Amino acid sequence: MKKLVLVWMLSLSACWSTAQATDESAWAGDLSPIGAAEWNREKARHLLERAGFGGTPEEVDALAALSPQAAVRRLVYFEGAPADTLPPFDHSGIFDEGIDPFPPGRPATTALADKNGEALGIKVKASGNRPQQPIVNQFFYWLRASRLETERVAYWWGNRMVATPRPLQEKMALFWHGHFTSSEEKVRDYRKMLKQVELFQREGMGNFRTLLIAAAQDPAMLAYLDAGVNVKGSPNENFAREIMEMFTMGVGNYTEHDIREAARAFTGWNFVGLEFHADSAKHDDGEKTFFGQTARYDGVGIIDRILAAPATPQYISGKLYKFFVRDDLSPELRAALGSRLRESHYDIAPLLETIFLSKDFYADTSRGSRIKSPVEFVVSTYRKLGQTHLPGAPDFNRVTEALGQHLLFPPTVAGWSYGRSWITPSLLIERGNFALDLAFPDIEFLPEDRYPVYPTGAEIRAVHRRLRAGEDMISATRPVDEKAGDDMMAMSNKVDRAEAFNTRYASYRGWQMAIERVKPIVRDLPRLDLARMVLRKELKTPQAVVDYFAARFLSVPLSDATRQQLAASFEHELGSADVLASGTVLEEPLRVLLHLMLSRPEYQLG
Amino acid sequence: MITRRDLLKYAAGGLIAGALPLGRAARALAAEEARAGRILVVLELSGGNDGMNTIVPYGDDAYYKLRPTIGIRQKALRPLDDHWGFNPGLLGFERLWKNGELALMHGCGYEQPSFSHFTSMAYWQTATPNSGDEYGWFGRLADALSPSMKPNFLVNIDTAQSLAVKSRVHTPVVFDDPERFQRRVLAQEQGLIEQVQGGSKPNPALDYVNAVSLSAAEASSMVREAWTKYKTPVDYGIASLQLPKVAACINAGLPAQLYYLAFRNNAFDTHVQQPDLHQRLLSYMADAVHGFIRDMERLGQGDRVSVLAFSEFGRRAPENTNRGTDHGTANFMFFAGKGVKGGHYGKPVSLTQLDEGDNLIYTTDFRRVYATAIDGWMKGGCAEQVLKGKFEGFPVFAA
Repeated sequence: MKKLVLVWMLSLSACWSTAQATDESAWAGDLSPIGAAEWNREKARHLLERAGFGGTPEEVDALAALSPQAAVRRLVYFEGAPADTLPPFDHSGIFDEGIDPFPPGRPATTALADKNGEALGIKVKASGNRPQQPIVNQFFYWLRASRLETERVAYWWGNRMVATPRPLQEKMALFWHGHFTSSEEKVRDYRKMLKQVELFQREGMGNFRTLLIAAAQDPAMLAYLDAGVNVKGSPNENFAREIMEMFTMGVGNYTEHDIREAARAFTGWNFVGLEFHADSAKHDDGEKTFFGQTARYDGVGIIDRILAAPATPQYISGKLYKFFVRDDLSPELRAALGSRLRESHYDIAPLLETIFLSKDFYADTSRGSRIKSPVEFVVSTYRKLGQTHLPGAPDFNRVTEALGQHLLFPPTVAGWSYGRSWITPSLLIERGNFALDLAFPDIEFLPEDRYPVYPTGAEIRAVHRRLRAGEDMISATRPVDEKAGDDMMAMSNKVDRAEAFNTRYASYRGWQMAIERVKPIVRDLPRLDLARMVLRKELKTPQAVVDYFAARFLSVPLSDATRQQLAASFEHELGSADVLASGTVLEEPLRVLLHLMLSRPEYQLG
Repeated sequence: MITRRDLLKYAAGGLIAGALPLGRAARALAAEEARAGRILVVLELSGGNDGMNTIVPYGDDAYYKLRPTIGIRQKALRPLDDHWGFNPGLLGFERLWKNGELALMHGCGYEQPSFSHFTSMAYWQTATPNSGDEYGWFGRLADALSPSMKPNFLVNIDTAQSLAVKSRVHTPVVFDDPERFQRRVLAQEQGLIEQVQGGSKPNPALDYVNAVSLSAAEASSMVREAWTKYKTPVDYGIASLQLPKVAACINAGLPAQLYYLAFRNNAFDTHVQQPDLHQRLLSYMADAVHGFIRDMERLGQGDRVSVLAFSEFGRRAPENTNRGTDHGTANFMFFAGKGVKGGHYGKPVSLTQLDEGDNLIYTTDFRRVYATAIDGWMKGGCAEQVLKGKFEGFPVFAA
């Protein structure tokens, strides 16, 4: 039945497109491929924006010169794209034996030390004050070091997005990172986070079944969803629920009973070190009734039943469509895309090819209608500026975090909600402030991988200064902002000191130990030469410069009034209407223009 | 129609005595004053707070049978009476309770509960269980209280806008860090950078960004100024949950009457090793709420402000085998403030009669508590309209 609808839709739209070859207003909802005659620079630009992170006018020209099929295949199958020669992640070497498995918190660590006389590979001191201090120091060391190293992983990944000749690979990895979420906030092991990103890069455009099983057996994922506690006799539903609700089907397609039974099938799934491990002793091998059938399912058996359900291909392809094309998706289009994914036996690339070639993708309502996510916003800005790597300042992680999308730290298991939630009054202002820092570097920049700011930087710095002023540990580790009067003091500020160790000291010492070993991020600034960009194009008038910038950066046209205002302001800054004759004084006025242009509401759309 | 502003203007000009019929206008003014003054702060405890280990029914043996390892023993609790005790982390709540400033709303939930954080939270944020709405209940409340656009009326302090504040009429002021809520701009860019123009063809996404851009310009300077002016001796604890930012806005006389905040990142989702973590989270929450109420009092705003706290669900009645709890159903909601008549409201849930999934059976539709906030506290007289149905409120606030 669904197939019939699809065929009918395709044939119907085929009739339309022959009858009205140039009428693009009816393209929405039409999955038939765009014709060679309809391919142009604007559409190539749109393709690069969505299936990649945008690019320079020269990169757009190169795609526009191909046929639409060849252009799409270049992005989806890398046909004719240069090889990826970017280096793998460069480990700082922060891991010590004994750290893994890392206890869930400081209390669990010291409880372990109480019980075993050692924890994290370090022994309790034989005598003296604070015998557990080295252990608690090590706890904070790993907490801080793993976090800082995770920021380096995010930097490495961000750099790939900026520099890769195969941008869709990274964009798909970004999609899956928001889909199969895990966060360093809970995982607390950069090695697992890195391994998960590498999985998305490797399998993200391959087969969804392969990817789903690998993601469900990924150590970061298993840690994030507490899979280890799901054991025979006491199934934990968290993992089974998220697999169905978030990763495959969405709510409404299964019952609570299905979740309980699926949880039993996943019992025993865990990891050892960085590898998946199915513990048969903890696995419930009994019969489970799932989606109305009874069998001795294991985890993969459940996954295969989920993949066979009609809701699953629709859910996955619908989510991909919303990520790459538009928010509004008709039930017919959703069904058609689902069929496409099912026909390809869950191979993802053919679905992407269909989407990127479709008239629907190039419809008026699709283009310039999508709010760029923070990572897309930052990465595409660098690419459009012709940067060939990710600059060290402004800090990529701090910027994207402030904008609401901190890589490897998604807020919840649902990942990031795309679309309008990316723009609030303060987030819009933050975007403009990033643009200002690009145009005119922030000389007050502090590298937060050395100077502690987050999350308890003020406290760490205070302890540091007090100790070096000769204060004893109790005095040096008092709260930074002690309020008067004990009865008004909040409880969370009262409970602190145990005899066996000092937490605030460990927090400070852990920072010292971490920055000693985590490699620093090179803090180079973006190198812009806007004057050269303009002079090479031989742009003569302020209006021509504004129009060139608009075409280079914006997916939505500026109104005439805005164009004229920007041109007038640029001319005023330049002190001349003759751009070519002002070559040596062009750069600063162009930087102001860049800031204005990138701060505009239009620039938030892609 | 005479607006409050008009009245004040006339009064200031000394014209009011002779020129205006006082009776009706004065009554309207009094009603509007009552309404205009009140502020509601909603605090979301995201992740599903474990109500049973928050307000502990230590007098009920069934509690210790359901919670053999993570049940909190009587001597560790902060007793309210001979049946209930606060989690040891709730010093802040104990202080409020002793002042008669804390209302415990028992058994809040809804029919056919969802166990998904996101689905259930969406139900609570839109006040439409097992259904949905384009706008959030807080946004709809804003629309009902002020049917015409009022700048800076609705504030959401968070990194992203909550569904709860989505409004047909108002653009919510959404910010996180007041110090960053500032457009850095060069002198020569003034006047240009915040200019907004419609596109040449229809583009709803552009219209949306344009509207946010306009609201950002005004709100950012107000909020920043408010934050700069604000200093407090009150201790809000380790995690102040954005409440000092609300205090700053109120202190500065921002027109906002509706504030929406969240204890973020699903923090209360305590599946594993719950006790220490949960106690810590509760201490942060209660310290912050208590600090805020005291701060309001200090600022002479105590009578104007109430806090409502909730979670998207409670947790499973029996503990799991990992010293934690799984997603559940009925739960406590809380009102705090000087205007609150402290005490228990609603019928406590049964710990022995559970549903087939071992879940507590709710006794209070959570929309009754929303109705209490809307009509009882805000004096909106619009609960039925906002909640799209009749829900009887509780007498938590003086009539």
